[in-house]
Amino acid sequence: MTPRGASVYRWDVSIMAASISGYTFSSVCYHSANSNSDHEGFLLGEVRHEETVSISDTQISSSELLQVVEVHNHEPCAQLFSFYDYAGQVNEESLNRILKDRRKNVIGWYRFRRNTQQQMSFREQIIHKQLTQLLGVPDLVFLLFSFISTANNSTHALEYVLFRPNRRYNQRVTLSIPNLGNTSQQEYKVSSVPNTSLNYAKVIKEHGAEFFDKDGVMKDIRTIFQVYGALQDKVQSVCGEVEQSERVKEKVQEEVNKLKQQIVLRKRKTTDEERRLQEAQNPEPRLTPEENTEPPETSLLSRVAFHTPSTPERPGPSANPPAYADLLSLQNDSLLPFSSSPTSAALLPRPQAVGSPGHPSPSPLGLGLSAGPNPAAGQEDDEEDDDDDSSEYENLVSEVGQLPPVSASVLLQGRPAALSPDGDASVRGSQT
Amino acid sequence: MAVSAVHLESDAFLVCMNHALSTEKEEVMGLCIGEVDTNRIVHIHSVIILRRSDKRKDRVEISPEQLSSAATESYRLAEMTGRPMRVVGWYHSHPHITVWPSHVDVRTQAMYQMMDQGFVGLIFSCFIEDKNTKTGRVLYTCFQSVQAQKGSEYERIEIPIHVIPHEAIGKVCLESAVELPRILCQEDIQFVFTKNLCSQMSAVSGPLLQWLENRLEQNKQNIIELQLEKERLTQELATM
Repeated sequence: MTPRGASVYRWDVSIMAASISGYTFSSVCYHSANSNSDHEGFLLGEVRHEETVSISDTQISSSELLQVVEVHNHEPCAQLFSFYDYAGQVNEESLNRILKDRRKNVIGWYRFRRNTQQQMSFREQIIHKQLTQLLGVPDLVFLLFSFISTANNSTHALEYVLFRPNRRYNQRVTLSIPNLGNTSQQEYKVSSVPNTSLNYAKVIKEHGAEFFDKDGVMKDIRTIFQVYGALQDKVQSVCGEVEQSERVKEKVQEEVNKLKQQIVLRKRKTTDEERRLQEAQNPEPRLTPEENTEPPETSLLSRVAFHTPSTPERPGPSANPPAYADLLSLQNDSLLPFSSSPTSAALLPRPQAVGSPGHPSPSPLGLGLSAGPNPAAGQEDDEEDDDDDSSEYENLVSEVGQLPPVSASVLLQGRPAALSPDGDASVRGSQT
Repeated sequence: MAVSAVHLESDAFLVCMNHALSTEKEEVMGLCIGEVDTNRIVHIHSVIILRRSDKRKDRVEISPEQLSSAATESYRLAEMTGRPMRVVGWYHSHPHITVWPSHVDVRTQAMYQMMDQGFVGLIFSCFIEDKNTKTGRVLYTCFQSVQAQKGSEYERIEIPIHVIPHEAIGKVCLESAVELPRILCQEDIQFVFTKNLCSQMSAVSGPLLQWLENRLEQNKQNIIELQLEKERLTQELATM
């Protein structure tokens, strides 16, 4: 897109636009909802540079460099500290183990935290610098998700900001989510302009046959419909594969959980036996009664509830709804049951030709597209100028996992929202 | 109060998010399928995406036909999962506007409650951005309606809602997720022509397929890792 002729180039400030698909975004939310601690992962995608040149009469052309970041997918980390340690030191080996050949597609990373500020923590900044170097992406981005809830848990907000920390200015970038509402082109005309010209009608009629097939359906429509049908069939089939893989994953996960339980039980049995053996050898009464009363830390954490009493515990492996175990035994190779044929010809629209003689074509839609009444007075555009104030959302009690282990009674009384700047506590223990 | 809290399974939450983020030019809606336990907690296991019969921008009412076919659908789901499932609520999206229900929403909710006291309403607010801080926001809330006195206006009451972790995506949720392009196509046929079908394919079907493929890849990877761990644990158990 270089301009021809003599002109002076002026690179204006590069602007960045970033986008992420609704499905990838929802997937991050889903993984975050499934983790009871912070959640992080990598953003995969591509960065494009688009140059727009504008030429004015003075022959001085200015060009704008638009950097477009497209997030295609995310690679979630199974647990925190999987590629860095407490000091924020990134381990390249672990990084490669997590990313494998996807490493070259990494354009950024993300972090999901609850009840924290929309700022990068110190450790995150350190990690970001190292990732920038190791991955060789000079403009590596960081997507920060922050989750807050009202005190009664009836309303929750997920805030997200995309940073490019390696820049001096304009570090925050708008992240757009392309969707149907902003990608389709102009509204389609539904009725033609009334036209009484006989010649016009004659020409249209003569040439009309080229556009319609024998069923009276526009050829283009049928073709596109076939493409759509093929795509939908593909979606169905991949979905079937995903469904099977979900079931297999569930099953193996259950087996792994059972094995872990067995090991824990076995270990406990052996320590009990050893203790009994020791007691048999030393018949004196013990002077330290609290030794046996503290439950092992892991089981305490697993029994602790979420922030309020009405919140359920994270279901243990045995608490899976029986439905899916039943489903596993019913697992078959057939695709998902709804195989209504979307490609049946009966569903094809049969519009009248635009510009049919004499009268406007009655739209097959039959509905006007009048704008509805405005929403009730209570609704306004959600422009909050006082973001950081967050007056709508009181800071909720933080999660259990973010505090050092305390006795169960203290936990039941509720805790103030005391969070370390990082959002994750120093004592978290690994996620199973 | 008829309902003490709502527990939304995370895979159903995923489908709601997918649906809400599919368009910013109009409100989308669907029904929640699940059950109510003895503690008056509503468990939402899955959602059904609905076609909007009224394309006016802010009207999200469900026609009796849709409710009836949803009931049929939940009966089918009950058969499939072996659990008593029924329609327990509805959700819709508020693109660009506040998460709180409008007067129309509150009245609509009140109407559903006449049919079922435990019926709940969910609203997902999305495509919100604070231009100053470049912060994007997605919110969700749960509510019911109550009449302060007989004959007075309905008001909303807040219902606590929690998203429950669910590591694998249930079959029912996957079905609902892929239903979206088909529903859009049907809408398309009613209203517009080929052009929108193309943009739908690229804006919805394409990303959907991409996400499914990614998920499949991730699952395959996870399964391999889990198998290795299973072997390791089996060995460890054997030596104990």
